Parts: sequence; structure tokens; C-alpha cells
Amino acid sequence: MAFEEYTNKIIDTDLLVVGGGTAGCPMAAKAAEAGLKVTIVEKSETQRSGNIGHGIDSYGIIPHGITVQELLPMYYDRMTSRNQGNGRTQDWNIDYVLFNREWWAIEELERMGIPMKWDNGEYYWVPHMIHGDGGDLKLGLRVHWHDVKPKMNKMCLERGVQILNRVMVVDILTHNGRACGATAINTRTGEFMIIKAKAVALATGMFDRLFDPETPLIYKYKMRYHYNPASCSGDGYAVAFRSGAGLAHMDDASWALRIRDDITNSYGNFVNNDGILAKQYYWNGEPAIPYHANTYVGNREAEDLGLLPIYQSLEHMPDDFQKRLEMNFLDERFVSLKLAADRGFNPRTHRYELMYYKPLQMMMIHGVFVDETMMSPYLKGLYAAGDCAAGVGGAWGACTSGLLIGDTVADYISQAGEAVIDEEQVAKAYEKCMAPTKVKDGTMPMELEVSIRHICERYVGAIKSEGKLREGIRRFEDIKETFLPQLMAPNPHYQMRALEVMNIMDLTELHLYGCFNRKETRGQYVRIDYPEVDHTRDNYITINRMVDGKSIVERAFAPGLKPEYEEALKKA
Amino acid sequence: MIIKIDTEKCIGCKKCYTVCPMDCFTWDEKEKKPVYTYEEECWTCGICWMDCPKRAIDIRYPAALY
Repeated sequence: MAFEEYTNKIIDTDLLVVGGGTAGCPMAAKAAEAGLKVTIVEKSETQRSGNIGHGIDSYGIIPHGITVQELLPMYYDRMTSRNQGNGRTQDWNIDYVLFNREWWAIEELERMGIPMKWDNGEYYWVPHMIHGDGGDLKLGLRVHWHDVKPKMNKMCLERGVQILNRVMVVDILTHNGRACGATAINTRTGEFMIIKAKAVALATGMFDRLFDPETPLIYKYKMRYHYNPASCSGDGYAVAFRSGAGLAHMDDASWALRIRDDITNSYGNFVNNDGILAKQYYWNGEPAIPYHANTYVGNREAEDLGLLPIYQSLEHMPDDFQKRLEMNFLDERFVSLKLAADRGFNPRTHRYELMYYKPLQMMMIHGVFVDETMMSPYLKGLYAAGDCAAGVGGAWGACTSGLLIGDTVADYISQAGEAVIDEEQVAKAYEKCMAPTKVKDGTMPMELEVSIRHICERYVGAIKSEGKLREGIRRFEDIKETFLPQLMAPNPHYQMRALEVMNIMDLTELHLYGCFNRKETRGQYVRIDYPEVDHTRDNYITINRMVDGKSIVERAFAPGLKPEYEEALKKA
Repeated sequence: MIIKIDTEKCIGCKKCYTVCPMDCFTWDEKEKKPVYTYEEECWTCGICWMDCPKRAIDIRYPAALY
């Protein structure tokens, strides 16, 4: 092997897991139990990395008290009527498989030392927004997870998983239509390495770091509305795209209320537990028209009438609810109550300013295009799980899809044969890592990233139109041509940031052009110049991937449920 | 400044340096203390504050988030 020019560090493994988060850790642990050699490559550190690094309060939607057959249409209805709009979905078969395996996943997690029950030894069921307000149905599982990540880390180490922390994947290595490993770099030492693997699984979370943060700290990395940690930069999406695996729905977008104060809880899933709604007030104390994220028109009227800001209030909520909410804050983000106390405001009585029109992270529907085995149909041995996979989301989606891959990947690996490393790909990845270190008087990664965010905020944003998109594309291409070659990285930490910005730019380009070509309004995707739904795009999936160095767009249609799944549902 | 390290309380366990999701800290081998080098990348996740065994790290909200 002629790789000494680039590195002496070549790691040989069976399964390479990119991203040691909510999906990656259960996946690695399960695959290790199957006797495989498993390596996690984690950009941060697995004890506290990823979306649940600082905790989470909601595990997700469980078929509890209802069958998968009853849950599926309810789930579909919620996903399409709210976010994507009718006729937009990813793949019912993925939903079917994940919901079907969900109880198995919960029991596997418990077996491996992850607490799924509450302090009283029982499952803590709560209503979930998926089935509207109140009622007897409780499909949400509340978990006590502010310290779950160290437990997941321990679970992996106990099973002999090799964890490479502070290591970022540069690109996937491929050979003859098969994923064979990855190139990577240590973000503290700058050591470049090759990881040879028989299968590669991407679990790097969702991509949304192309918009401004929701608070005025423009020059900083910010959490997206508590869904995604600042460290997520779409790395899994980008490496999948460049390797020829497909990305689905990069032309999708959504927007939502942004709550101005960082104290707040995740998306307010639990506000309506008892059927009591939050109240809203205009600045002058008058009750505001009940606000729903989709009624953006109402916001404009309020603006024109001088009634802004609108504030959300939970003051009227009963004491036991307030206590449960405090527990939510602690599970979701332990530091939040301390910060509220420091600032001198009482979360029980504080009125939270609602912002709006902010482009939200792109939704669950987009990501690496996989089928219900979680493998890419374009690149053998390339898997994706959790928020990184198109059509999968939530802690429940991450853990279930991760465990599913861990459970089945040994079958693939047993017939996959030896991985072959392509020297030209190694050379290209090495060049890419090292180029920013040779630039003097260039542009630092954050400068470039802020520019990209500004373009997306202003020219893509929540309300799109042709003029703005054209200008956004023009500016993007200009920035790319002028500043990408000058991207500068004075040390390994900044090499990591430079690689992140390159990933963000690759993905932003897909979003810009995708939105430009998508001439319709559907769900939370709003083209003010094309206000109707384009029915030729019903069940349509845009797929972006690179083939022979070129970015191509393909299309697919969301498949219907497979006959054997239909049969199984009927029998249920 | 979001993070303030009390170097008297700090026992040099390296926990903050080890777990910070954004790699905001570097390590001073001589002093055996963390240095808040990339403070502009901190997003107040609070993990360093949570995990410090001696509460040697104080976390305060910056003006821009008020």
C-alpha cells in the first residue's frame, strides 16, 4: 500500500460508525455484540456529543395502546398536514419497520443499561403532539435523560467498541460502487488517517447550520431551536453526497416560531398535557389571536398594526404542571434553570417573546437516501441512521434505526469481502485537509460560514421567490469562487472548522438550486411567486448525488407500503 | 465571557477539556489547567458546568443573549 506519503495510521475495522451520538452509540454497541470489530469516529467526545449530549426530555412516539396499523396513518397525517404538506413523505416502509421494531429497541436499550423508565420504575407516558391536543392517547415516552450520554459511552466501551474521539471524517472511501471506509483527521493533533472498513454507517445528525442562529450572536455557533447541537454541520450528508450515495429532499425547508429566550423547552411538546393551552399576549397585554406556526399571515397583520412583539405565557398553568416543566428543563438542558435564576427571571411567570419567519432547520424528511434496511441503494455497505437518514427523526428514530443496523450489518459484512482503498481518493482527501493550512492572509472559516448563513437567511429564508433565489445563487457562486480558495486554517481545530464550512457549502448549493427549481407552495415550503401546490410533485423525492465528479439530480417517488407489510398490518 | 474558570477550585481533572462539544478549551500542560481558547465558539450548552466535579466553571449568559 502506497499511503506512507499521507499517513502511517491505517485503521482496519469491520463497521465504521461516523458520529457517536444518539444513533451511533446504540448501533456500535449492538454490532459489537454480534462479534464485529466496530470503530466510532466522533468529532467531539462520545460522553457528551450529539443532540442528547446535554440531555433530552422526550424519547418520541411509541405505539403504546394502539397498533402500528393505527399509528401509521396518524403519523403520516401529522407529518404531511403540518410540515411537508400533503403528498410529501419519504418512505412508508421505513416508518413501518421503525415503528414495528420500536418496542424491541426500547428493551434492547434497557438491557444495555440505558434507563427508559422513570424514577418510579414505570414508563412515563405523555400525550404527543402527533395526535393533537389532549385525549386519552399517550404515545409519547418521557425519559429522564440529562445524563444518558455518559451511559451510552460506557455501553460502547464495555462491548469493546473502538472510539476515536476528536476525529472528523473527511470523505468516504469507495471502490466499485461500495463503501470501503473513510479518510479522517484528528481535530487536535492534525493527524491524518485512513480507516478501512467493510461497512460504513453515517450517524452525524441533521443538517441545518446554513441559517443564522435565532439569537443576536451572529458570529457564534448556535443551537437550532434546541433540536440540534452547534457541532452538527451536516458532515454525514456531505460525505454521502460526494461519495455518490444520494441525498433526499434537499429542496425542503420549514420555518417556525423562534422563542427569544434561551431558557425555553424543546418545542413545547408538554404544554398541553392537561389540555390547557399556553396563552399569548401582544406587547400591550391584550390577548393575541391564538397563534399557530402555519398562520404566518397573521403575524404580518400584527406587525402592521404595531402589536408586536407577541409573548407566550405559562403563568396560568397549575403548580404540578410547572414542576413537571422544570423537570423537562433539567432533562433537556441542565443549565437552563441556573441561567434563568442568574438573569433574575422566574420561568413560571416569565413571558417569552415569540419570533417568527425564521427558517428552521430543515425537517426530518431530508437526509441520506436509504430504504428500510437503512442502506443506500446507490452505494453498497453505506448506511445512515437517525436524523442523518432521510425520513428518520427523533431519539426514537435514532435509537431504533441505529439498533436495526447494528442487528443486521453482520449479514452484509459476512459476504462483503475485503475493503479496497483507492489511493487517488486518499490523495484528494489529504489535499483537501492540508490546503487551508498553507494559506496565509486568507479567510477564517467562521467568516465564510457567516456569509453563507446571511445568503440563506436573506435570499432563501422562509418566504422564497425567484428574484431572491437568483440573487442568492449569484452571491453564493461569487463567494465560492472568491473565498473558498482562500479558506485558512492556522491549526487543526480550524482545519475541522474549514472542513465543516466546505461541507456546509456543498449542501447549501443543493438547497439553493433545489429551491430555485421547486416552483410550488406546499406545507411550510412557501414560494410566494408559486402559491399553489404542484401536483406533478406529489410523492416526489429530489435526489442529489455526485457521480464522476459531477453533481447530478435524480428523482424518485416515495414508494407505497410493500405488499408483505400491508398483509402484516391487516393481520395485526 | 460565557465561561469563567476558578483556577483555585480546579483540580486539573481535564473533564471540561475532554467533553466540550465545540472543542472550546485547550490544555495548559504547565499549569495543569484548561484555557478557554475558542470562546467565540461557545454556545452555552452548559456541559462543562454540568460535568466539572468541583463546580470550578461558572457559566454566565453573555450580553448578546439578553
